[in-house]
Amino acid sequence: MNGFSHSLVQVPPGVQCFVGDEARRRRSIEDRVVSVFEGWSYEEIIPPLFDYADVFASETLSSKTYSFVGRDGSLLALRPDFTSLLAKIAAGRLADRPAPIRLYYSGEVLRYEPPKAGRQSELFQMGLEHLGGGSPAADAEVLAIAAECLEAAGVTGFVLTLGHVGVFAGLVALAGLDEAGLATLRERVESKDGAGVRAALASAPPEVAAALERLASLSGEISILAEAERAFAFAPAALTAVRELRSIVDALTAAGLGDRLAIDLGEVRGLDYYTGLVFRAYARGLGFEVGSGGRYDTLLARFGRPLPAVGFMLGLDRLALLLERQGAPLPEASRAAEEPGDLRGARARRAAGVRVRLR
Amino acid sequence: MSLTVALSKGKLLQGTEALWRRAGLAFPEAEGRKLVVAMDGLRFLFVKDQDVPTYVEYGVADCGVAGRDVLLEAGSDVYEPLDLGFGRCRLVVARPAGSGLEYRRAASLRVATKYPRIASGHFLGRGVSAEIVKLSGSVEIAPGLGLADCIVDVVETGRTLVENGLEPVEDVAHSTARFIVNRASYHAQREAVSRLLATLQKAVA
Repeated sequence: MNGFSHSLVQVPPGVQCFVGDEARRRRSIEDRVVSVFEGWSYEEIIPPLFDYADVFASETLSSKTYSFVGRDGSLLALRPDFTSLLAKIAAGRLADRPAPIRLYYSGEVLRYEPPKAGRQSELFQMGLEHLGGGSPAADAEVLAIAAECLEAAGVTGFVLTLGHVGVFAGLVALAGLDEAGLATLRERVESKDGAGVRAALASAPPEVAAALERLASLSGEISILAEAERAFAFAPAALTAVRELRSIVDALTAAGLGDRLAIDLGEVRGLDYYTGLVFRAYARGLGFEVGSGGRYDTLLARFGRPLPAVGFMLGLDRLALLLERQGAPLPEASRAAEEPGDLRGARARRAAGVRVRLR
Repeated sequence: MSLTVALSKGKLLQGTEALWRRAGLAFPEAEGRKLVVAMDGLRFLFVKDQDVPTYVEYGVADCGVAGRDVLLEAGSDVYEPLDLGFGRCRLVVARPAGSGLEYRRAASLRVATKYPRIASGHFLGRGVSAEIVKLSGSVEIAPGLGLADCIVDVVETGRTLVENGLEPVEDVAHSTARFIVNRASYHAQREAVSRLLATLQKAVA
């Protein structure tokens, strides 16, 4: 397929199109999620579709970005992500706005993704950013809103799995690995492959190797945080991270959300700008996460306004698929239409608020 | 809710069945085996070994048994919490015996393999731009017939290589059978998954 030998109705890989009921389902999910954002006094922001490419300079995203050269020779990119854009806007356009700033968005991002489980090139994301608030209060707020969004959308049996990038970072700093070794280790921890982690750490101090091997399988109920504190007591940075996570969990448990939470300290993947809490939302019926988020305390400093920040996003495409799999009813189809004989009659009925359909 | 397990109909089947029986779990009889069998609280899918990671990654199956070689080739985003120890093999670069082929010095290099992703990653990572020829089987005969300069293939005992006049040059990867789990199932069905995982773990140890 060279891009020229297609018929005019052929679609390029990765694009999507929704008609009728599917579109109605998506619109209804978006409405419900956005009303939760509004309910927590987050302000909508409609950022540009493209910006200078260096705004999105994240290692994980740059290989997936559609970039192009503007008329003036500058390198531009279609937004692959909202978070960097919002950070830029908070530091620029909203520079005189006092923190905390609460913003939400709902729209498409474009990424080059090889066709794979749950991935498209065009992704519709709904999310929010809490800028200027520290852990644990802002973290707990964002997680509570995420849970309410999933409930409002009609998702049943979901779980939010919480991790903290500081645990892995704190342990790995003691392992003395080079960059290649670190990449292998990260990949094996992400795969929860304890034996592989051990093999990758053959030359690390035994205590560190044992802790990282343990990390790969440290997931489950909230109670495993106590086990993590014992296992990582020798590594101060990792221990601090576990304790920070515990105070977030405590805040959420006190707010009545304890049964929605799980811990996964081996979850170390994701965007490279996360600095603290990271989380994912999983539910029965979908083989991958339906949303994710985390804390990114250093990103805004890139744009000249150092503020701590935390946020999350839900994938509308994934939510729609999940709800369909869970058998959630479609949003009510519109009322049946009257069929007036002529345009004049139709206008009169429309003025009375009636749905019409001309023959 | 019961778990769905994707298993290979191919070379890992025997080892998987032995493991299941050692763990005291019921396993479907081989006679006239159906492709989908429900038994003892589990639902089994019997599929081609390359397809096991696909079923698990998409969440059609909650877990499965797949070779590390197949996982590497598929680049699957699944959890691999348990090395099952059987199905041990190596992926190697092999050249015609006595040819003295140094692939780094070759002006051009054509490689036949069933593992195009692994093979191309291996050569590119060493600064060599190889032309990869994807085959579905009988890779060993490719160099002798002039289709390729060397091959990347799985070796268990090394006998097939010798019979086809080939010799291993270097290891690309080591492989064993892995118990793999879908990322969402691992969390959303934690109880059932960790029970099965613990049962298998005991049978491996």
